[in-house]
Amino acid sequence: MSVLRGAAGWVAVALCVVPLAVAVLGPFLPYDARAGLPYSSEGLLGTDGLGRDVLGLLLVGGRTALGMAFGAVVMAYLVGGLVGLTAASTRHRWLDEAMMRPLDVLLPLPSLLVISVVAVGWQASAPAITVAVAMVNVPTVARLVRAAALDAASGPVVEALRMQRESWFTIQLGYVGRSVLGPVAADLGTRITLAVFLVASVNFLGLGLSPTAPDWAVSVSRNREGLLLQPWSVLAPALLLVSFTLGFNLLADRLVHRSRRLAGSPA
Amino acid sequence: MRSYAVQRAGLAVVQLAVLSVLVFVLTSLLPGDAAEMRFTETLTPSQVAALRAELGLDQPPAERFVHWLGNVLTGDLGTSLISGGPVADIVRDSIGATLVLTLTTLAVVVPLAVALGIAMGTRENGRLDRAITSVTLALSAIPDFVIAVVLVAVFALKLGWLPATWVGGDLLASPALLILPVGVLLGRTVCLLSRQVRAGTIAALNAEYVTQARRLGVPRRQLLLRHVLPNAAVPGVQELARTGDTLLGGVLVVEAIFAIPGFATALVDGVETRDVPTVQGLTLVLAVAALLINLGADLVCNRLVPRTEALR
Repeated sequence: MSVLRGAAGWVAVALCVVPLAVAVLGPFLPYDARAGLPYSSEGLLGTDGLGRDVLGLLLVGGRTALGMAFGAVVMAYLVGGLVGLTAASTRHRWLDEAMMRPLDVLLPLPSLLVISVVAVGWQASAPAITVAVAMVNVPTVARLVRAAALDAASGPVVEALRMQRESWFTIQLGYVGRSVLGPVAADLGTRITLAVFLVASVNFLGLGLSPTAPDWAVSVSRNREGLLLQPWSVLAPALLLVSFTLGFNLLADRLVHRSRRLAGSPA
Repeated sequence: MRSYAVQRAGLAVVQLAVLSVLVFVLTSLLPGDAAEMRFTETLTPSQVAALRAELGLDQPPAERFVHWLGNVLTGDLGTSLISGGPVADIVRDSIGATLVLTLTTLAVVVPLAVALGIAMGTRENGRLDRAITSVTLALSAIPDFVIAVVLVAVFALKLGWLPATWVGGDLLASPALLILPVGVLLGRTVCLLSRQVRAGTIAALNAEYVTQARRLGVPRRQLLLRHVLPNAAVPGVQELARTGDTLLGGVLVVEAIFAIPGFATALVDGVETRDVPTVQGLTLVLAVAALLINLGADLVCNRLVPRTEALR
């Protein structure tokens, strides 16, 4: 993968992988978290405002912080991708219109607003927030996939394939579907960052998970008064979040540059 | 041009109609109503039912929607279930602080982003371009609340240079209070916008009409201001609508951290207390604002570069 070429590529990967590993493997590590006094420096990273071990919280707090965002993006792509592909490949203009127009209407809804209302309404449940974040992303994803698929579907390659009497499935899945993957991969980086941001913001505002949850964003919010007493209680979860979004942003940026270079247009 | 404006405004009207239904449905779906939230501990079930009837919460949703929409169209946003005062008053009281915040931010963001974007775009892949690009890329990856928490800790708590929270009084009268919140809001919006302006500048500089203008001996300053800037601004203006969304999210976070009694604070309070009329009123005002920003952005784009004939 040429995305990885050079030291910067590996730095980006490392920035992503560390928080990801903590989030995925953390809950399984046999770490003995001991409670102490609030904001003390016992243990490797000290304790938080409730006297809980910061490192112990970090290891279990990544699951919600990153998992909800990933779940939301997967869901957004399942729904939005399906809508976009169907709208692009249909021969019936009314179907295309019927699928895309309602999304135009949803586009200007302020995203954090929708998520806050849903999050509070369903009593801080993680699945509800995940679905809400997914919903907010569906219109943009559907538009992106449709535009990319239309580009490919109206090109000379599809015409040539059709003249060779290739089947509808070969053309749609084999060619059109595959050529959508490039733009999708480029979008994925920013989309996941955005989802992590949205999930974290809702949790930070106290509209999402319970205020004592080990979630990274909740930890930053809960311990912010103690930043000067025990900096790690705030900085450690914040650094993990930032490291992840920064790494993903860098990777996405490299991917976009590479695909622009391949396409021959100036980056 | 006019037909595009008419078409686009027509879409906005449809959007508005759908949004009003959505706002009502989303807020009505909130499980538990104000009567339950506040009084289950002190009142008997029959008293709760009486209260519900008094607040009109026992009517079927469709009826409540028609009633609500009729009132909204005549400018009556309803009555708050918690304070008992008109929702319009809540909107009026809280919108000031938020407007001051967002307008101040925009007043700094737009010129700064345009200047940075053009500076980067005219020196594509130069040292300055690469330096600013790296900084903006890194900065845009940091969530607002992390920036806010760190800034407060350093400048308010540690150094004591700036106030950490709002303590009352007029925001405009105490500019020191605005510095940290606006600083937080600046971060990501400047990054988003300047990158768009940079891309637009590069695309415009590579376009044939600019080459032709250069060949004709158009001075550099005039070339940049008259030919490159309008075209470079298009992705920026389109992005402004999305920046508005980012900005609003930022405002929610900033108001919560700095305890500013603005729109977002009122909204969060309303959602938490299940004050449905207040939430509906505030959400509707926000949604309309977002719609208008989008409409404005599209019309400005069309005016700058009148080639986008179709709506999509």
